[in-house]
Amino acid sequence: MLSLRYIFFFLVIFSYFYFGYFGKNNSLADQKSTFEKPRMLNNFGMPGSIDTPTAESFPDGQFSASSAIFGGTIRTNLSFQISENITAAFRYSRIPSVSGDHRGYFWDRSFDIHYRAFKEKKYLPSIAIGLRDFIGTGLYSSEYIVASKSMGKGIKISAGLGWGRMAGTNSFSNVFGRGSDRTEVNVGVGGNFTLDHFFSGKNSPFLSIKYKLNDKIDLIGELSSDSYSHETSSSKGLVRKSDLNIGIKYQLASDVGIMGTLMHGNSVGVVGILALNPKNPPNKTGFEPAPMPILDKATRLKTGYTNKNDLFEVNDRLLQLDGIKLLRLNLIENRLIVDIVDRNYLNVAQMIGRVARILSKTAPSNVDNFNIFIVDYSTGFYISEVRIDRLSLEKNELLFEGASLLWDSVKIHNVPNEYTKKKKNSFTPLTWSFYPDVDIMLFDPHAPIRWSIGWQSNLEYRVGESTTISGSLKQPILGTMDDVKRGPKVGLPNVRSDFMYYYRDIGNSIYLDNLTIDQYIKPFENIYGVINLGYLEMMYMGARSEIIWKDRNKPYGFGLDIAKARKRNTYGDFGLKNESYSTYLASVYYDLPNRWNIRLDAGKYLAGDYGTTLAVARDFNNGWEIGAYATLTDVSFDTFGEGSFDKGITLRAPLSWFTGKKSQGWRNTIISPIRGDGGAKLELEENKYLFRKINRYGENAFRKNWKRVYR
Amino acid sequence: MKKLFVLFLIPFLLSCSSDELMESEKKDYFSIYKNLIVSDSNKKSTENQLAKQNKNSKWLSKFNQPIILISSADEKIQATLVALGNNQEKLTWVSADGISLTFDNGVLIATRGYTQDLMTMRHKTLKTMFKKRQKDYKKTHRYLNGENDYDDITFICKLSKEVNRNLKILEYSLMADKYTESCKSPRYFYDNEYYLLPKTNIVLKSKQWISPSNQSFFSYNFYAFQKF
Repeated sequence: MLSLRYIFFFLVIFSYFYFGYFGKNNSLADQKSTFEKPRMLNNFGMPGSIDTPTAESFPDGQFSASSAIFGGTIRTNLSFQISENITAAFRYSRIPSVSGDHRGYFWDRSFDIHYRAFKEKKYLPSIAIGLRDFIGTGLYSSEYIVASKSMGKGIKISAGLGWGRMAGTNSFSNVFGRGSDRTEVNVGVGGNFTLDHFFSGKNSPFLSIKYKLNDKIDLIGELSSDSYSHETSSSKGLVRKSDLNIGIKYQLASDVGIMGTLMHGNSVGVVGILALNPKNPPNKTGFEPAPMPILDKATRLKTGYTNKNDLFEVNDRLLQLDGIKLLRLNLIENRLIVDIVDRNYLNVAQMIGRVARILSKTAPSNVDNFNIFIVDYSTGFYISEVRIDRLSLEKNELLFEGASLLWDSVKIHNVPNEYTKKKKNSFTPLTWSFYPDVDIMLFDPHAPIRWSIGWQSNLEYRVGESTTISGSLKQPILGTMDDVKRGPKVGLPNVRSDFMYYYRDIGNSIYLDNLTIDQYIKPFENIYGVINLGYLEMMYMGARSEIIWKDRNKPYGFGLDIAKARKRNTYGDFGLKNESYSTYLASVYYDLPNRWNIRLDAGKYLAGDYGTTLAVARDFNNGWEIGAYATLTDVSFDTFGEGSFDKGITLRAPLSWFTGKKSQGWRNTIISPIRGDGGAKLELEENKYLFRKINRYGENAFRKNWKRVYR
Repeated sequence: MKKLFVLFLIPFLLSCSSDELMESEKKDYFSIYKNLIVSDSNKKSTENQLAKQNKNSKWLSKFNQPIILISSADEKIQATLVALGNNQEKLTWVSADGISLTFDNGVLIATRGYTQDLMTMRHKTLKTMFKKRQKDYKKTHRYLNGENDYDDITFICKLSKEVNRNLKILEYSLMADKYTESCKSPRYFYDNEYYLLPKTNIVLKSKQWISPSNQSFFSYNFYAFQKF
């Protein structure tokens, strides 16, 4: 019998991911079947039948959230189709066991990887290989090789061999001659893996048959070799009566599925599945109003043009209609030079196209070139100069290959410091906001989801051209964040793992989240810097400086982040503890071809440990980024404690993807299984970090988005 | 508990900012939730005021610049467009609500402001389409996909002609030549219709397909009846 608690857990997980991050309007999406296949997920959130895997892959880019509940087990899975053939999943599970360390249960995190080596052919099956729970304490640790073949209309048969946990019943000697004993590994505190372990010990066959009844329903039967030894050891778990699992999958919508199961002849289960593909925006290419139409030279000469004295005013008004601010306009011989700030368009090519269209409409006929200088709003940095040939803009507008022909004539330059000297920009000095604030904390075994809802008020004051004072007050009003039972880790200075004391002591009080003076500097053409002084984040105050080198036409950049910080007291006021830390990290950023980007940090982390962080993310060229990072330092896995090292999954979702309207807004989520002290960094608000602000106006950003220049 | 609940509601009710951009983003963000919670937007009445108006030459005389009227396939939504762009004789017409349509010889070659805009079109025989009888021909519609790459759909089209068809436009009744263009791709198909003034290239009325998401629309080229 499912308890209310299980149902609540299931609903909360679904609400969190669906409403909080992935909610969308489905009415316009008409090609979803090629982007999302929720019926392909199994109980583990991977391509499969019920518990067993199949040799299939999700559509490239599909991101899925699913939750399976049966026989005392809860599995909440996040899976991502990394490339056409590779699927990865992160899972948080409740596993009933007589030796369970939390009231008869284990709460366990696990990672899976699945590689489809061969696609199905007319006479040959598809073949896939996979590792389940390959990093961690190994409660689900298993490996498999599986083949799948469609047989006639609507039937798919999959069969394979499983090792580890999947070699529970009907097992026989290792087919690779690796003996009958599985290589023992010392899982220690989890978080690591040993290659020797994989495909060792006995193996068992498994089989599944799927029958597609119609476009919405699949009927599934499978023989699973998982013996469920933990789950059957506890009265809170299941009674395993047979190898047979049966299930029915029903597709509620093109991106939502549900599966009902009868597991091993005893336990009734339910699985809810949500699938989303960043490649498939619900509003297609968006709702932006049409841009300014172009008049060719002959028509312009007939219709006349704007008086030189009115040029700034007219362009300012037209650009404002597109949400772009004109700072300066100069007409020098045949060049029209403008400085602009854009806070609306995520797509820089579209933005520059719209600016050029407006200039083309208003500029005197002798103007042949537009020199557009782009200024970042928050830092005041002049980042790039885009030169557009007016004639090329006009003649290519409606050509089939017009965008690429225009690109050939476009030049993007760094902005020399001489240009920016003595420039004063009329930004509003004071901005403030007051909003609801939602905070979520996952993976506490005592309460898998902790949350708080309250308010946040931000204030920013521009003191000069390149100096701001900004701060944020928060108050949690409702929630469970202040009730974390665990204490901090031992072995390292508690630079991050004592976060629970802050939530506990702040409780429902108003607290100062951050308050800093930010000084932006651009000493050389390609060097950008910031100094932050004050209350940097909830746990630290101090001084931090970041320097970035970035050339507009190079795919890489370098950074250096140095900070000296003192621990704040746990009440969120101005008080400080007598604990000081320093950190310095050098970074390399690289935009790889095929829309992947990497970042490598190396240096000294907050707790005084030395090491590196590697972050890899897939960039969907529409604002979405899905990635992962791992930090390895000279702290031993035992000293780091549970999880062995810092790692996590990163999600960045643009607001414009959901609404279809132009916006640079986004939601950022980091799913980090364990927060330790090893590899810890300062956690300032993301808009305090420079690289993304600069890189978004680099040549690569324009090139990869250029097909949108005429939209 | 009641007090806490009230406190919790206050930020939602009072959320605000001095920055217009943040205000607008906040509204957009909450609209995501609203769209999920409130029923399907398709159920809303979509009929607009312009669609209810009787269009005749008196109504047309109020416009002091050339206009065209476009209408959804069910005629419930209508808009008037004015010509704001002219690039190599390809006219771009723009509506007050931010939609633009670009025609070459009366044939739609680009749209902007729709969710799935026709970015450009490759149609090699467009200029002679209504002049010369031709066999099957190719048209390639260019769209953008969700990752801002091109998504091209190539159609094989056939054009057929019917002469002396009665056409009612405004209060006028005219004889027109009707051209029906039937286009097929492996996944999509559509029929475009063009009503031309006999022995001319002037398209008086047409029904043209934009994209898989936005389907077809009617255009009425009222500028042919305007006097300035």
